[in-house]
Amino acid sequence: MNFLKKLAPHIALAESQICKSADLHTSAVCCRVQSGRYRITTKRNRPLTYEMANPPHFIAHRKSWNSWNTSTLLDSQRPAQTAVEDLFIRKFITGTWHALTCSEIIIKRQHNTIRIASIIRQAISPRKMYFLIGYTEELLSYWMQCPVTLELQTVADKKDVVFKYI
Amino acid sequence: MAASLTRLLERSLRTTHAPQSSVRLFSNGSQKQQQQQPEVEDEEEFRVLNLRPVKQQFQRRRDIRRDDVTPPRTTRMAVDQDWTAAWPGPRSFHPASVPLPLRQGFTERGAAAPSKFANAELMKIPNFLHLTPPAIRQQCEAIKKFCTPWPKGLETEAKWKPHFPVEVITTDYCQSLPTVRNPEARRVTVSLKLSDLKFDNHARDKFLRLVGERYNKETDVLTFVTDRCPLRKQNYDYALYLLTACYHESFVTEPWEATKSEADMELYLFERNQAKRSAEAILNWNAAEGAPKKAASASYAQCVEQLINEGENEYNLAKYKEEVMKMLNVAAQ
Repeated sequence: MNFLKKLAPHIALAESQICKSADLHTSAVCCRVQSGRYRITTKRNRPLTYEMANPPHFIAHRKSWNSWNTSTLLDSQRPAQTAVEDLFIRKFITGTWHALTCSEIIIKRQHNTIRIASIIRQAISPRKMYFLIGYTEELLSYWMQCPVTLELQTVADKKDVVFKYI
Repeated sequence: MAASLTRLLERSLRTTHAPQSSVRLFSNGSQKQQQQQPEVEDEEEFRVLNLRPVKQQFQRRRDIRRDDVTPPRTTRMAVDQDWTAAWPGPRSFHPASVPLPLRQGFTERGAAAPSKFANAELMKIPNFLHLTPPAIRQQCEAIKKFCTPWPKGLETEAKWKPHFPVEVITTDYCQSLPTVRNPEARRVTVSLKLSDLKFDNHARDKFLRLVGERYNKETDVLTFVTDRCPLRKQNYDYALYLLTACYHESFVTEPWEATKSEADMELYLFERNQAKRSAEAILNWNAAEGAPKKAASASYAQCVEQLINEGENEYNLAKYKEEVMKMLNVAAQ
């Protein structure tokens, strides 16, 4: 508290200076953009999928969107609900197919149908996989109140989806 | 620890109930302990209280038996197979079902694009593998039985236009949402040519005043756009109601309409203006009392109306001059 008390006159002085002068900020914008970009490791052994290898500004150039719906078009309905639902679906699937999903979850919506595509590792038996497909479809269709279809592709090993190492 | 305790307890039990030597209190499930028991009984003197039992032989990890992964379906596909049966509906791309050597993705120069296996990009993009020309032909054949022939005599637009003067425009919205409702779909546009309606002079004038901006003078099209009701049906009914009400109201002459003054006129009419009176005064100059009154000619009336309604231009002024000279019997030079 004492520290703040000491600081008070300085802040007042600074404030008055700011109010007096209307300066222009001429230096470059320093905001750092980091999301969806991966750092190069010293050993060059970080595996990246094709999706991860292309940063977000390459969407629609080198890679395409993970969610396909009409909510983001101009003047269309419930964009927020759709985004939150997509987020929930992604979390639910990565959790249900724990350590099995090798790619991003692709969510396509057509009319009232939700089609979910993903690449899954062949680490569990087909019986378990069939169970999980049914389980996921059933629960998601109950929560979303619309038919949900899972369209999975399986790979033998995690390394199959690796595009490059950095 | 637990194992040795069990053994102790078990021993004390055994001493009390001598004949039942193989009673097991806790089901440890390990074969080894049961094998050890005879030894313990032999060396009763020197039992070792093993506080930290050393795992002598740890169990070998069970190998997970995996079923053989079946090779891609494309390897077993016949060349002349029915593709509509292999890919009947819309579906994300699956490499094992599509016998095409597809590649997708950006790579640095010289490297091959990623193949179709384990390629998420191919799964993202919408495909039309279910809408191949044979599939569309098949579906068209299937729904052909529901179609009716086009009515005779309505082949061209010129032929059907007089039968359907009113045009109704509505919009349906397809959207990827759990609901099929869209508030924008309520809008209804009803349009028709004004020449399709029958009016007299007064009704036409009143109708145009009632509809105001909804009438386009250039194209002669009357348009009603209704969106104030929540449903399309209601808006359609309302648009037709507006049309009907305006049409019938335009034929009603209210008592106050007789007070329409010259300033309220939308057009210059020769009949009710000073020009007519002046022309008649000139024509009937010095006429005998009771003689039939001469009226200005129709062509003169028309050219005066044209001159004032359209504005003064070379053609109208020349026409006016000609008509005046004709009326006054002045010979052209």
